[in-house]
Amino acid sequence: MADLDRRDFLKLASGTAVGLATGALSVPIFKRVTDGAPTSAATTASGAATGKIDYTRAKAVPTICFGCTTHCGVIGWVQDDRVRKIEGNPLDPNSRGKICAKANGMIHYTYYPERLLFPLERVGPRGSGQWKRISWDEALDKVAGRLRKIRDDGHPERFIFHYGRDKTKGFTSRFTNAFGTPNRLNRRSICSSNRRAPLMSFYGRDFEWETQDFAETQFILNFGANPMEAYQGGLFMMQRIQDARVDHGAQMVTFEVRPSATASVSDEYFAIMPGTDGAVAMAMCHVILAENLHDEVFWTRWANFPLDDLRQHLEPFTPEFAEQESGIPAADIRRLAIAFAQAAPRCCTLSNRGSAKHYNGMQADRGIRMLDVLVGNVGKPGGYCLSTLRMWSGHYGQDGLPKISQPKPSPPKPKPYLPGTPQFAELPAEVQDRVQGFPEVWQKKYFGELATPSEYPLSFHWYTMRVGQLVQEYIRQGRAKVEVYMSYVYGAAYGYPEANLVREVLRDEKLIPFHVAIEIGYSEQAALADMILPEATSLERWDAHSQNAYGLIPYTGIRQPLVDPPGEARPVQIILRDLARRIGGGMEQYFDFEDVEDFYREWYQNVPLSWEEFKRRGIWHDPTRSLDYELYERPVPEDKLAGSVVDPKTQIIHQSKDGKKTAVGIMMDGKAVQGFPTPSRRIQVYDEIFPEAAKAVDLPLTDGNASPLPIYFRIPSHENLDDDEYILTTFKWNVHTQGRSGHLKYQAEIVHTNPLFMHPETGRELGFDEGDEVEVTTFRPKGYTFRAGEEEPVGSFRNQVRFLRGMHKRCVASSHHVGHWEHGAIGKAADNRQQAEQFPGFDTQHAALQDPDIQQNKIWWSKDRGGVGGGVHINDALPINPCPLVGGQNWYDNVCKLRKV
Amino acid sequence: MSDSEPVPWENVGREPQKARSRAGMVVDLERCIGCHACSVACKTEHSVPLGGFRTRVRYLERPDRPTLAFLPLLCMQCQDAPCLDACPTEALRRGADGRVEIDQDRCCGNKACVAACPYQAIFINSETGLADKCDFCTHRTEVGLDPACVAACPCDALRFGDLDDAQDPVSQYAEQRGARPFKEDAGTRPSVLYVGHEDWMEPAAKSGIQISREDRDIVYEQPVGETEPSR
Repeated sequence: MADLDRRDFLKLASGTAVGLATGALSVPIFKRVTDGAPTSAATTASGAATGKIDYTRAKAVPTICFGCTTHCGVIGWVQDDRVRKIEGNPLDPNSRGKICAKANGMIHYTYYPERLLFPLERVGPRGSGQWKRISWDEALDKVAGRLRKIRDDGHPERFIFHYGRDKTKGFTSRFTNAFGTPNRLNRRSICSSNRRAPLMSFYGRDFEWETQDFAETQFILNFGANPMEAYQGGLFMMQRIQDARVDHGAQMVTFEVRPSATASVSDEYFAIMPGTDGAVAMAMCHVILAENLHDEVFWTRWANFPLDDLRQHLEPFTPEFAEQESGIPAADIRRLAIAFAQAAPRCCTLSNRGSAKHYNGMQADRGIRMLDVLVGNVGKPGGYCLSTLRMWSGHYGQDGLPKISQPKPSPPKPKPYLPGTPQFAELPAEVQDRVQGFPEVWQKKYFGELATPSEYPLSFHWYTMRVGQLVQEYIRQGRAKVEVYMSYVYGAAYGYPEANLVREVLRDEKLIPFHVAIEIGYSEQAALADMILPEATSLERWDAHSQNAYGLIPYTGIRQPLVDPPGEARPVQIILRDLARRIGGGMEQYFDFEDVEDFYREWYQNVPLSWEEFKRRGIWHDPTRSLDYELYERPVPEDKLAGSVVDPKTQIIHQSKDGKKTAVGIMMDGKAVQGFPTPSRRIQVYDEIFPEAAKAVDLPLTDGNASPLPIYFRIPSHENLDDDEYILTTFKWNVHTQGRSGHLKYQAEIVHTNPLFMHPETGRELGFDEGDEVEVTTFRPKGYTFRAGEEEPVGSFRNQVRFLRGMHKRCVASSHHVGHWEHGAIGKAADNRQQAEQFPGFDTQHAALQDPDIQQNKIWWSKDRGGVGGGVHINDALPINPCPLVGGQNWYDNVCKLRKV
Repeated sequence: MSDSEPVPWENVGREPQKARSRAGMVVDLERCIGCHACSVACKTEHSVPLGGFRTRVRYLERPDRPTLAFLPLLCMQCQDAPCLDACPTEALRRGADGRVEIDQDRCCGNKACVAACPYQAIFINSETGLADKCDFCTHRTEVGLDPACVAACPCDALRFGDLDDAQDPVSQYAEQRGARPFKEDAGTRPSVLYVGHEDWMEPAAKSGIQISREDRDIVYEQPVGETEPSR
């Protein structure tokens, strides 16, 4: 047997099967081996893969999915040099071998005829869609020439690297650091700043997220999170939540404004007034204390605020008050608070955009976080756990893990804009004054208005989260000078709030003299570039990977190329390496590798597996390691205790190293334990950073965001709403990933429109019938935020009404992934064959990229085939609305009016 | 962990497969979260052209609560399969383990089977012009892999096995959870059984697996009423 290959074995086995009785024996069921029907994959003359995948012949290679930010370990089945199928990697302790629709459909991110394959240079006016193919050498020389000049001139900060999704775990910052620019900008404020700030404040780390122990929990209190559809880590969460619910009777209660998948599978769903989750959470804290259901021992030991004072603070937040604000009956709030506390420690909260993406969302999430501390479930089995992640090098909770870090040498980090530097001198006077008034610790973290906007000090107090939605506006205002703007797989021109403003700035050659886009598909952003560099997809390149582990054992994985990129597309590591070498001036020393694999081999040299074995498995973790429960009670490791000093007043243990004092733990009952990685080593329910930040930017202390204790306050824009004013909420579908998936055919087939969902009673009030086209007009927010209170509407869009009884009656909802005007036939939901043929960035004849659905125009929902079309772009009408202090986009505050067309 | 430890995918096709007497599936609607992983896995596995469906997840508004119900539908692999009787060319046939398969060499695309199926499980594949439907991924199960939808399902809502074997986990799960056929009244004795199936779902999902203008789902969106949305 050993000498036979797999195919021979199957033939042999299937041959013998004929003569055997059914049932009793273990034999393969194999059919039609000799009847001539193709059971293996065939490739048509045009090159499209057809026929069944032959799993005996296809090779399985593990890698990491890039369909969203969850990043599941997957295996790709490769047959005839083509990735035919993505499945889960069962060795991934987070995904446990499961995947979602996005992972499956992502293949069409790699294989479609409208993929960018060649470097392009614009030949007509910017945005005119006129391009010519150029060679890589020419493209890189041109970009490097511009970059070298600004670096030589002492203004590296005039190079902006703006990414939409960068999971290189530090490779792109290697490039920007080596170049010397602090302006490696992201989209964190679009996503999660309001949600991360409470975690940083409470726990000293955001740990990517908390890692609830769903597998062991009995009660989940969910404020506006949607892990069943769209949540970083959702796939890890959904399977554990459903196991807990179905197999051991866990309860999940969800507060949402629309019947999301998560709301739909919850045991109880409450439609809540947008932006009032904090009121409910605070009232639940009130009830738990009033009923004495809190964990006094845990609170006294670990929270940094006296319980009696908290009682006083919570006094006004009664369930009746919360009912008035939220519409959730006081009796339910009371009942659920009691049930939650009684389940402790096997209970946990869950929150995300629904609670956090509001003017009061940072404080709402602090209120929700307080629920877990009150009942003492933090770090307990079935409770609210924190699991370490990222690249490991001895940080909190990472003791005993191998050090995994980028190959040396590491480039120096950019220098802050201190008074006296030319960068500081260029800042507007008002900004200079503000920064000079900052405490020294913030001045040392200040890198100009794009990376560290001075009006949002909490966006860089903990680490640089940035305020991405203001970047183009700040460039327009002249707060920062730009010479080269590089977009890296970044869809702001389509997906950001007031995306029209982004486009306006990107079109302006005075503001943005040169825009180079590294992209895979011809996006709305790439359409506004001067040069486009085609990138490899996640199936064609390397990346380091780790994520917080819902199995509570840290792990790491490797993204590796399964196939070569088609045409001239190249992985980002090669693009940046070759740019660095051309720019020179010392940059090249950080990119001293020929084969990208060598770079990653060195990066992972401490993983206790051979490189070949690590690639073979795709994942490494130590299954014998103890689970990340109660990290705070663990003893401080010996090496950190050496030479440490205990502060007699606070009992905090400090280690002095190179003249720098670092807290490493806290004395508890005579034992040196790690505590939490906060300045106080306790959970900072009370945090003066909020009023301090408010004072620094002249935010009145009466604004709820300035409160040192968690608080609920009404969103200023939602005070005194007129009867004809409604709240417009956007949301994500489970098959889509922001603006990055509208052109993926199987996902778009499922969701290609974004009707305006509303409660039937809302519709009747407004005189709408289902199917009516209505115009939605949005208005500026109020309070202390961007262009607050301006009367002029922000924008409007027209869309079709769909009734859903699960909608909150004051709220209308529309998804924001569709309505592309670029991104090929599927993105536009239109016959794009002629344009695609002529587009110099594509090779529609490329054998590997053939797709009959696109090339025979089978898009049944396209208007030219009598369908509904590809939805409505609504993002221009969503106001830029950064949360005070931290700058997270308040996506769901939007006040709007509705009118039948 | 040793370097030589086998990894699961390297065994595909190497190990003998247990012969099943009646291949079957349990679909647990109480586990399903409507994520479409099954249906997209299926389309990718079989390169199913746009507009045709071997499996589809229906999104139905619940009558009793203001939420949605999710209903994955696929060929029920009926023991009394009307498609088998309807086919004049004997292209539809029963596999050794009871699954219903279409012989592409015998099919002439006359659609008799399409009309016969009470679940609208069969469609004409626009690439081949021939009848197509779910076959429990024969090419996968014969090498020891689960059907694509089952392998993808993140919440184990879909489970595959031998319904004739009382020891098979899928039979035990069906028994424990009281699984029963969808549209039992059609009398076709399906080998796909449902948990959490409610009577209102049958009329609500009447167009079955293929899309129809009658659908009231909020996915696979088609025009509602007279007006079409526009930009």
